[in-house]
This record gives sequence, structure tokens and C-alpha cells, in this order.
Amino acid sequence: MGETRYLCRALDIGEGEAKGFGPIDGARRKVILVRRGGVLRGWLDACPHYSTGTPMAWKTDGYLNGERTHLTCHSHGALFEIETGECVLGPCLGQRLTAVAISVSEEGDVFVALPVEEKSKSDN
Amino acid sequence: MNIIGPDYLVFGVDDVAASIEYLTAWGLKPVDVTEKGGIFETLDGTGIIIRHKADPMLPPPLPTSNMLRQQVYGVRSAEDLDAIEAELGTDRRVTRLSDGSIELKDDHGFELKFQVTIRRELDMPAEKINAPGAPAQRRPNEIGVWEEMPALPRTLSHVVLFVPDLDVATKFYCDRLGFVITDVLTGAGPFLRPKANDDHHTLFFIRTPEYMKGCEHLAFHMGGPTELMVAGTRFVKKGYQSFWGPGRHKFGSNWFWYFNSPLGCHFEYDADMDKHDDTWIAREAPMGAEASQIVLFEMREKWAPTGGPPPGAKG
Repeated sequence: MGETRYLCRALDIGEGEAKGFGPIDGARRKVILVRRGGVLRGWLDACPHYSTGTPMAWKTDGYLNGERTHLTCHSHGALFEIETGECVLGPCLGQRLTAVAISVSEEGDVFVALPVEEKSKSDN
Repeated sequence: MNIIGPDYLVFGVDDVAASIEYLTAWGLKPVDVTEKGGIFETLDGTGIIIRHKADPMLPPPLPTSNMLRQQVYGVRSAEDLDAIEAELGTDRRVTRLSDGSIELKDDHGFELKFQVTIRRELDMPAEKINAPGAPAQRRPNEIGVWEEMPALPRTLSHVVLFVPDLDVATKFYCDRLGFVITDVLTGAGPFLRPKANDDHHTLFFIRTPEYMKGCEHLAFHMGGPTELMVAGTRFVKKGYQSFWGPGRHKFGSNWFWYFNSPLGCHFEYDADMDKHDDTWIAREAPMGAEASQIVLFEMREKWAPTGGPPPGAKG
């Protein structure tokens, strides 16, 4: 992994929780960290419904649906699988969230690889 | 058929607690709200009704993921309800409730209710401005803004629906219920106003695939553009997510600011919408960023330039 940025302690994201970070280093969108089955994953906070990718939370860190089973875009209620990022219900059915590469150090710190977005997306 | 506009929009939500928090922070007044949901009122009594999506009191859901369950329209009098029942009873089931209201489905399957309107008449000033060449609207020593100024939604303004067939939707509301097309965004759809309301629109359609059918957004009238920006700024500061705006639309001339919500659609503050009568001739423009807005801004944290040398400079 090349250049990275510190996001948080791995313990800061509990099982079944999601949190937003950034935007980092000039990126347009935030990074979502979400933990499911003990595994921590990173997704770009950009709903694929519109080409620019739009922010998905309804408020700070509000990325999950009521049942806490899916990442949710609170524009139109699209549901995304936490493990694959695939939209399973809503306007962008079949499309995917953009994965963000993260790493966890031996000390338990979470880092994100830079850049977190394609240049074309950060231009919008 | 003197239809005035939406009295209530009813939602079946998956997170009642989040929705209660959101609607209260938006500036609506909870009325008889419990952990099961309830009514959230604007200043004139129109507003939003929420219940959990599994609550049997709700009308049935749309066959999509959308949470909108019913649009409740206010009409002027009981005679208007009779006229709607007579018109629509010819080709669909119209259910008369004990309070005299009627329930039915539109031609896309959206649940509708019509009732003698519950809205209270408002008597409060619009935002006042001063400009050279025009009489001052604010008296000497009457200030325009202050930190704690009120900025609450005055009334439910309009609803925007994703529909798969614009012709079917337009014919139902215009030919059967007397709505009028005020303008058309080609590629999206028409703006509609009902007979007993002179607002540019209380209803707008956007053409989408069948699986998206539902509510795209709903909007509330504010007292003016300053109230809109003050309310939106307070909302962002509390951590809620801006989606689009603030800005000003071309068709309708209304200021706008859209936000994400836990109700599966956008919420809009709007202000200073055009009024129309039957002499108005509808305009048409292709849907796009240029046609959609005259100006668009994005909120940033407060900042101010100060005089003097930069911090740390020798001086």
C-alpha cells in the first residue's frame, strides 16, 4: 500500500456500526467504515444513482437502514449489501458502491489508501 | 372540484425514532406523537404522518422500496368530496370514511385521500426587503436578521412523484381532478397546480422506471429566502445532510434547499414561489442543470476576512 491516512482506531467501529470520515485530502466524498461479522470494510460515501455520486447519510454517521442490515442512501432509500456494496433495492439496482482500500495496523489503527476517489469524481 | 393541495403525506418508515428526531429538527411540531409515530405539523396544520412500516393502520405500501403510503388532499367543502366521488366512482372503488373523507387509488396505484382541509389560515408577514427606488418594507430601526430569528415551515407546499407513465399521471390529475399544467420540463415532467391553489405547483412528476415509483421529495414553504437559508444552515449544523442547494429554481421561481431523510425521500425548504391564474400559458424547457436553476450555492462553514497582517507575521 502506498500513501495512507489515519482514520480512527479499529475499536471505534463496533459490530453492526457505520461511521463517516473526511472528506480526506481534497476528495469530494467521505469514506464510510462499516463492521459486519467482525470484518471492517471501507466504502466511498457516494450513491451511484447519479454520476457525480451523492452523499448517502441522513445525518452524521447515519448510513444504515432501520433494521441495521444494509448501507442505505437516504436520498431515495436505496439499500446496499454491506459485504459487496451491491444495490439490492432502489433506483441504482444492480450497481455498486466504490470500495475504499483500508488497512489495520498491528496497533489497531485504521488507515485509508490514497487517493480515495477517482479524479473524475472529485472534479464534480 | 376545489382541491387546495396536500394536507398530509403519510409514510410507513423503518426507523420511527430516527424519523421523529428528523421531523422535529426540521421544524415541525409533534402532535400526539408516541414511539409508534404520529402527526408532525407546520404552522398552518398541514404536515407529515409517520408510522412503522408494519403498522396495520397504514394504507398498503407501493410495490417498490418507497415509504410513501398516502397523499391526503385538502378540499374546500363537502360538495367537493361529493364531486370527486361522483367523478372517480365510475371506474374505481371509492371508500367513504365516517368523517366524510374519501379514499381511492390514482391510475398508478398511489393511495389518495380527500378531506375538507384541516389547514388553518395564516396571518403573518412575508420576508420584508428594502431596495432603492421602491418603498421601504421595513420601517426605520426594524432589523432584517437576528441570530434567534424564527424560521419554521409555514405550510406543506408540494410533493414530487416518480411515475413510470407521464401521460397516465397527467391525464388522471388534469382530466379527472381539474389540475392545470403550469410548466413542463421535457425529459422529466409537468408541474401541476390544483384549481383552488394559485401556487406554481403542488405536484410535479418525474418519469422513472416502474421499480422507482414513489415520492422523490416533498417541500415546505418558508417565509422567504432568508428564512430558508437560516433554517437550512441550522439543520446542517445539527449534522443533517444537504443534498442540493441552496439555490433558486427557474420554473416556479422558488428558492430551494434539499436534504436527505430517513423517510426514503428528499425534504425541501422552499420560498417565494410564483403564483398563477388560468391566463398563464405553460412554458417548456428541456430538463437539465441550466433549465433547473438560475443560481446554485453550496453551504460552507462561516468565515470572515479580518484586517491586519497574517497571523504570525512580524509587525
